[in-house]
Amino acid sequence: MACRRIGDQEQFLATAFSVVNCGRPPAWGIRTHSICMVSDFFYPNMGGVESHIYQLSQCLIERGHKVIIVTHAYGSRKGIRYLTNGLKVYYLPLKVMYNQSTATTLFHSLPLLSKENTVLRAALDPEIVSVIPNAVDPTDLTPDPSRRDNSTITIVVVSRLVYRKGIDLLSGIIPELCQKYPDLNFLVGGEGPKRIVLEEVRERYQLHDRVRLLGALEHQDVRNVLVQGHIFLNTSLTEAFCMAIVEAASCGLQVVSTRVGGIPEVLPEDLIILCEPSVKSLCDGLEKAMLQLRSGTSLAPEIIHNKVKTFYTWRNVAARTEKVYDRVADETVLPMDKRLDRLITHCGSVTGYIFALFAVLNFLFLVFLRWMTPDSIIEAARDATGPNGVWTKQYFHTQKRKEKEENSNC
Amino acid sequence: MEERGERIALQCRQHSASCREFSVRCQPVQLRSLSAATCSVWLAAYWLFVLTQNSMVLSAAIFITLIGLIVYLHFVKIDQESLLVIASLGIQMTSSYASGKESTTFIEMSQVKDVVINEAIYMQKVIYYLCILLRDPLDPQSVSEVVPLFQSSKPRLDCLVEVYRSCQEILEQRKTVSQIL
Repeated sequence: MACRRIGDQEQFLATAFSVVNCGRPPAWGIRTHSICMVSDFFYPNMGGVESHIYQLSQCLIERGHKVIIVTHAYGSRKGIRYLTNGLKVYYLPLKVMYNQSTATTLFHSLPLLSKENTVLRAALDPEIVSVIPNAVDPTDLTPDPSRRDNSTITIVVVSRLVYRKGIDLLSGIIPELCQKYPDLNFLVGGEGPKRIVLEEVRERYQLHDRVRLLGALEHQDVRNVLVQGHIFLNTSLTEAFCMAIVEAASCGLQVVSTRVGGIPEVLPEDLIILCEPSVKSLCDGLEKAMLQLRSGTSLAPEIIHNKVKTFYTWRNVAARTEKVYDRVADETVLPMDKRLDRLITHCGSVTGYIFALFAVLNFLFLVFLRWMTPDSIIEAARDATGPNGVWTKQYFHTQKRKEKEENSNC
Repeated sequence: MEERGERIALQCRQHSASCREFSVRCQPVQLRSLSAATCSVWLAAYWLFVLTQNSMVLSAAIFITLIGLIVYLHFVKIDQESLLVIASLGIQMTSSYASGKESTTFIEMSQVKDVVINEAIYMQKVIYYLCILLRDPLDPQSVSEVVPLFQSSKPRLDCLVEVYRSCQEILEQRKTVSQIL
């Protein structure tokens, strides 16, 4: 069994885990898994997690796996439905507790998902934690240099205005650079408790015409904001995988970011200027980016876009996910006593026992349910992927070919 | 065939090439469960009687048991469900209650669009069931209603597949007939 968390960093996280079961014989020379994605958030609800699960499932089906999704009922949409390519969705009639989350999600509501965070908090061996990035839809995020005002330089910041995103650093950078460069503007998208800090800075230094605060942005408006700028600034103090810088690079912006968390692994060095999380270092980085822009040595937006386009596609994400599944499927399932032992020794002295207690209760509950409804009277689901699985396999050959092309392009 | 630990029997009778009858016999009324229910009600009543010294409790318990038994046998417990498919006429569904009461529904063949096996979530379980899709009289291509079959006996998939195959054979005949006409 594999627990995989979906890393939509900007969002409070849904429980989404997949159960992998390789019961099917290998087809086309690779292993195929039966994958169950469990998440409270799925269509018709809209959002990042929902589209992540859908796109990832579609790509996994394309690769020959069998995927089902378990979620809770949305209004009249309950029961079992089939989506494109035989993706089967179980809308369970569960009670929604809060904000489209059912009791189970609230029960084990998850910590923040960075590899560092997860590894440190759970005292896991870093080797067994895999970080799978989100995909970026490169067709939506295209550069549009005509929207830029080339008489000035615009620095764009799109993030929630919270401490973790380094808004305090930003409030130090804004006055310093604005005094130095009269042709510099800031465009800040996002909302949060630290907005007041930026407003104060704007007030104190009389920068109303040069620092625009746009407030909360809808996802579809992000591109509109991004394409107006030349440089994207990310001041995060901690970050697992920064989606925003990929999106900005996809829109052809020069990215300046702090060197924290997983950020250095996100983009290659020629597309990003990494700085230490201090006002001075970030100002130096921004000046360097401005210098490159002025001298014309920075890459053209189209070139940046074409590079980024190949990095984080859904197919790529699905291939990485598949690798994790392959590895996890080979792991042995720990027996109950070992699992309890691990909970007690790894999860703190008090909480460890509480977790172990819950594990025992869950186990007993499972035994009780087994006794109530033996396996023999549970109907096994029929394979609904068409005769001989035609719905899933027809894509397979074309897909393999495409992938080879993609790889050769890189 | 077995269903949820209970034994049920599927009987198929072929009256002619275009007329078939399927009947699913559920588990008969269990004397054991009936007497257990009766005993528990009466014991509870007796305990209340000892506490309150009011004989009304005992007579109420007797009435409750009697009425409960009648309602259960007459409206709840279904002994047999049968499906009669006649290619030229339609589909008739009959359920016989334990008391002998029968209720019958008839669907004209022109209304029947198709018979399918569907999947549903029922009582914390995912089950398969057979259902008739009714044609919308205004728009013949769309489905106006879904009529589930064998609702109380809930046969398992292997049983449903058998009924489904036979139904499809008969529906096929109907189509060829209408094409000739």
